Parts: sequence; structure tokens; C-alpha cells
Amino acid sequence: MAKPRRSRRPRTTLIILVLVSITIITLDARGGLDRVTSGMRSVAEDVFSPIRSGVDGIVQPIGSFLAGSVHYGAVRQQNQKLEAENGRLRAQIAGQADAAQALQQLKQLSALDDLPYYANLQLVPAEVIDYDSSDFAATIDIDVGRDQGATLDMPVVGEGGLIGQIVQANANTSTVRMITDGQSKVGARYGTGSLALLNGQGADQPLTASYVPPNTPVADGDIFTTSGLQGALFPPGIPVARVETTRTGTTSSEESVTLAPLADLDHLRYVSVVLWGPQS
Amino acid sequence: MTARDVARVGLVVFTFVVVQETLMLDIRIDGVHPDIMVLLPIAAGVIGGASRGATMGFWAGLVSDLFLPTPFGLSALVGCLVGFGVGQATVALNRSSAWLLVVSAVAGSAAYEVTYALLGSVLGQPQMIHVDLVAIVLVVSLTNALLAVPAVRMVGWALPAASAEGMPGPANAPGVLR
Repeated sequence: MAKPRRSRRPRTTLIILVLVSITIITLDARGGLDRVTSGMRSVAEDVFSPIRSGVDGIVQPIGSFLAGSVHYGAVRQQNQKLEAENGRLRAQIAGQADAAQALQQLKQLSALDDLPYYANLQLVPAEVIDYDSSDFAATIDIDVGRDQGATLDMPVVGEGGLIGQIVQANANTSTVRMITDGQSKVGARYGTGSLALLNGQGADQPLTASYVPPNTPVADGDIFTTSGLQGALFPPGIPVARVETTRTGTTSSEESVTLAPLADLDHLRYVSVVLWGPQS
Repeated sequence: MTARDVARVGLVVFTFVVVQETLMLDIRIDGVHPDIMVLLPIAAGVIGGASRGATMGFWAGLVSDLFLPTPFGLSALVGCLVGFGVGQATVALNRSSAWLLVVSAVAGSAAYEVTYALLGSVLGQPQMIHVDLVAIVLVVSLTNALLAVPAVRMVGWALPAASAEGMPGPANAPGVLR
């Protein structure tokens, strides 16, 4: 008896799609498609930016209405009045705290202008509009883009020091890869001018330092700043991170150093784009 | 597929992208965003079989890649693998069962996120396996389980009458899951 034949079409389709995907990934990684993919991502963001704002404008009142409806039947009238009053006062306090925090960040940001490492740099202030568009990368979106002078690879600084660099510049928004992202590498100086490389390990993870020789006198609390070597991605002297732990292994050829970013990367609200490139 | 079918699929993918890039990015559960784009290849795999699951996964993945900082093409690669896998795994099952949709959404989403992290790390992004993968798998799988039925209805509206990739009987008839 002849066996029923299974269609080969799904497997053929899969093989073709896998090969096309791998080709796209390879070309993108090698820079062959860099301009194309960057352009497409920029167009997609520019198209979606107003849609996002529009949908947010529609959804937020609906969400507030639904929340109000749910609470309506749940409590008695007097409790409602008390809760409403309580909520109003809480909102007032939260709003004041929020405004105070925003003001503090803005003050600290404007104070950065007076620090020596920003003396000759032009800064464009920006507001953080989104955190981590992917669960697999440490990024933020800011409301400054090409139209405001931001371009690919420009450094972004904030309260405390270096935040990261722009990896996608759209018309009016940009995506910033933070220094904690696993793809982030920052050339740094420490101590009396020794050089090291600071590597991101992922969101909420400490940075690690490479090329620190064993028994180097690095103490907890020491500050690492950007090296600013020729061709470096960041201008010199920007504070990046503070040493948290140091350990010399018995066989290791490097000191094991972990560092905490100086900027509070979990609570960013305002940052500044440094209009600077390696050619500057 | 006719031009009308392509337009319908495009409209559904666009709708998913809008929801993902607006509502879902505002939601954070244990620091993780839901990812409804994963539902597209899963739904297409359940409705149309392995070939359509793979094709939907590829195109939906490419669109997702436009909005992600991870390597371009990675979502397309993982999407076509998951769509194919779901289509193959459900080929002999009663695809009209709601339980099958939910189980497919949970298993497909978990497979997607784990494969995404592993392939990403192989492709030069080692940090992708150092994230809290358990939290990501749980959040994405559970939210997609909740949204599986409406997602399958939308994809079922867009895809033309399901092709017979070895699927006999009424489970494959036009209109099922709609």
C-alpha cells in the first residue's frame, strides 16, 4: 500500500524564509544594510510617533473612566467622598513630589553646564519619553532628533554623568543605548590616567571593567571617566561609574572590577544630548 | 492570496503594531512588556498551518524589528521558526478548540522568547541570555494566553480559507475560529 505523501511546501517555505532572515541579519551586522535598516527604522518611528501620541490621548481618558466605574459600585457614598478627598490630597502630594523631582533633575542638568568636562560642549536638553522598548536591551527614547541636531552615536549625559549614546536618530525622537546595555562599551580613565574599557551587562546590572591589571590600586568609590582618546565615541572627562567591588583572582590576568553608573538610570526624566562626534 | 487578502493581513499586522507600540509599551509587569506580535505567527500557524505560520512570522517579525534595538532580522527568523513549529505541532489536532489556542499561545510564546534570547546571544548579543528570561517568558506567555482567542479571530478574518496542510475534516473548513 502506498504511503500518503506529505507536502514539502511548508519545509521549503521555512528554509527559504530562514535563509532570507539569516542573510538580512548578516548584512545588517556587517554594515551592508546599515543605511537601509536605519532609514526604515527612522521612517517607521516618524510615522508611529503621531499615532502613538494620538492613541495615548484616546486611551488615557478611557482608562480613567473605567477605573472610576469600577470604584463607583465598590464603596458607599460617604467612603467615596472620603476616598476622593484622600485621592485628591495624595495626587496633590504626588504631583508636588513629581514636580520637585523634575525641577531637581532640571537644576542638576543645567548645573552640568558649569562643570569643566562640558565647558566646550554644546548640549541639547531632552525629555525621556519611553524606557526599554525591548525587554532584551537597555534603551530610552528621548524627544530630540535630527531636526534638533542629534545624530547617530552622539553621547547623552544626565544627572550624575554619562547615560549612553544615540543608536537611532529619527526626525524628532532618538533611541539611546544606555551604558548598562550589553552592547555598550565605553573607553575610560581611572586613577592617574590608566585606561580601561567599561562593559555593560544588561539593565539593572553593574558595569565591568576590562584591561585593569592585577593588583592595580583601585579602591571602592573610585570614579571612572571617559577617556576621550583619538577616535573615541565620547569626549574626555565625563564621569561614568563608581567602583563597587574589586577582586584579584589567583590566576586571572586582570583585576575583576564592577562599577555602578553614576547617573540614576532607572529614574531619568531629563537628559542632554552632547552635540559631539569623534571628528569634533 | 489575492490583493484583498494581502490588504487584510497588512491591516491586521498594522493593528497589532499599533497596539504593541502604544498600549503594550505602557504596560510593565515585573519590568517586562507584553509582546502581542508573537501571537501573529502562532495564530497563523494554528489557522493556516506551518507554511502560513512561517510566512506570517517572517513578515510580522520584520515589522517588529523596525521598532526594536536588537539585530534587524532576528524577530523575523524566530517568528518564522515559531509559526512553522506551531503549524506542525497542531496539524493533527482539532484546531477549533479554545484550549488548543491557549496552549499554543503559551507554548509558542515561551518558545519564541527563549529562541530569541539564545539566537540573539549566538549572533553577538551575549547580554540577551543574561536578562530575567523566566519573567519575560511568564509575562509574555500569560498575557498572550489571555489574548489568544481575539488574536486568532483577527488573523482568521485576514487569512483566506485555511489551506489543507494535511488537515482533514471540518476543523479546517472556512469559517472555523471566526
